[in-house]
Amino acid sequence: MSFPITSLIAEHRELGLVVAVLLGFGFGFTLERAGFGQARKLAAQFYFTDMTVFKVMFTSIVTAMLGVLLFSGVGLAELKVVGQSVASATYLWPMLAGGLLLGAGFIISGYCPGTGLVAAASGNLDGVVAIAGVLIGSLGFAEIAELWPAFSTFYLSGDKGQWFLYELLGVPAPVLGLAITAMALAMFIGAEKVEQIMARKGEGEDTAEVSPTARGARRLAFGALAGTAVLTLGTLALPSHPKAAVTKTVATVDQQAFAQRLLDEPWSVRILDLRAEKACKERRIPGSECTPRETVGKLGLAYTAGVKDLVLVDEGKRREVPQAVLQYPGKVMMLEGGFPGWKRYALTPPKAPGPDASAAKREAYQFRAALHAAMLGAKPPAPPPGGTKRYVPKPKKKKGGGCG
Amino acid sequence: MERQQQFWNPYVAGVALGLVLCATFLIMGNGLGASGAANRFAVAALQVFAPHHVAQNNKMATLKADRPSLLDNWLVFEVLGVILGGGVAAYTAGRMRPGVSKGPRISVPLRLVFALSGGVLMGIAARLARGCTSGQALSGGAVLSVGSWVFMFAVFGGGYALAYFVRRQWT
Repeated sequence: MSFPITSLIAEHRELGLVVAVLLGFGFGFTLERAGFGQARKLAAQFYFTDMTVFKVMFTSIVTAMLGVLLFSGVGLAELKVVGQSVASATYLWPMLAGGLLLGAGFIISGYCPGTGLVAAASGNLDGVVAIAGVLIGSLGFAEIAELWPAFSTFYLSGDKGQWFLYELLGVPAPVLGLAITAMALAMFIGAEKVEQIMARKGEGEDTAEVSPTARGARRLAFGALAGTAVLTLGTLALPSHPKAAVTKTVATVDQQAFAQRLLDEPWSVRILDLRAEKACKERRIPGSECTPRETVGKLGLAYTAGVKDLVLVDEGKRREVPQAVLQYPGKVMMLEGGFPGWKRYALTPPKAPGPDASAAKREAYQFRAALHAAMLGAKPPAPPPGGTKRYVPKPKKKKGGGCG
Repeated sequence: MERQQQFWNPYVAGVALGLVLCATFLIMGNGLGASGAANRFAVAALQVFAPHHVAQNNKMATLKADRPSLLDNWLVFEVLGVILGGGVAAYTAGRMRPGVSKGPRISVPLRLVFALSGGVLMGIAARLARGCTSGQALSGGAVLSVGSWVFMFAVFGGGYALAYFVRRQWT
């Protein structure tokens, strides 16, 4: 078994949405119980009188980080794969500016978008109003981006791609994990000291643990985090897990099934053209990438989420499939007949069947005629005699973008 | 009136939140978010009144493209869960009651004006940064994304820089 469970995104999507509600429930529940449904408690963070926001936030970041590190350490997940599917790419400048602006919005409104939802759910009118503001703001963003080209340019500035701290610092992730945990624990103790000082000045209350259960809970949490961090570091000593021997079978997809898919749901396939660069640049299947055999290794296919199906297009001679492709976590298919097959099927006008042709033949003809027209941008030919339903290809959709 | 339950110890709450977050990573290969879903709700609402306008706006149209319905999305369902979970937690702790959270020195209408304008700023900021405190700082931070850490420190920076000027809201 390995994580994440990709079937929840693909074939069991409905179940995945149910899980989404459950996980969201857990998120909302803990936020409320931490006290994040009340603006005053949240805002107190910025006046040093109550550092709960900082404590909860960093404890949860460290906990989740250690969990992923531990699962990766024992080979049940792959740190970088999880990271790539969770995090957005790093755009340095808009993220810096967006952070400053969001921090300003946080102290003005008293909530961040997530805590605003919890506040609204627990009856706080200011939470409802803040969320309304967030809705207006996100529409405003889209409008500003449309009207002001420089803003759109800035939105894409400082593009570093997916970039992780362990790459930036060049240290093994578990070592970094231990360092971050140690730093967090030290900062928690510092935050408690700050609260004590403020309490002595008569502002805010001393939240230094008074009851023995609270003191015990704190000690337990600190101990668990430190212990897990050390344990994670220990996984470095485990023999590295050789990637399971590649036993992936590469299915063959025939031209018609592939063409159907290309027209109906182009977003569900990623097409790699393995032919030589020149041949590919000259003419290729729309939406395919020119990735000559020898460059496939550079795509990092092993580290992608594998949600789309990979379709390989070659010279039609069925040469061996590159090793790098076999490490792709999702499904891999070979286009039958390669590009020459595509040329014969989609780029040459089909022969019209006679008036006595069977319905299946007529339908196949209609599909091919429509495909041919769609590929060459020509007007579709008149339907054959006795034609019933004409196949009209759905308009091609643009691939989805934006941020989750 | 029933007595309110106390808030959880912050470290215990943090560990619980972290476990939920980690489960989300490992099960779904996704992070927790809030502003992404808010964006979808906003565009979906606008679409009811001005579909033409939505289709013409680059940012809104690309958001629409991946599935027929804007609301058929992981984040939207997750956020429904957040609202449900927050409500249940507040109710069972005896904290479910209409009100406005504010300091004694500010009137309710003025506080609501602040809440709205701060919300607008956050809506813009979250789109600019590709996520908010949940999606970017918490989720991205836990998988050690560089951009998320830059964002996180910037949030604290922005909050502290402005805190002095809006102190009348809270104290």
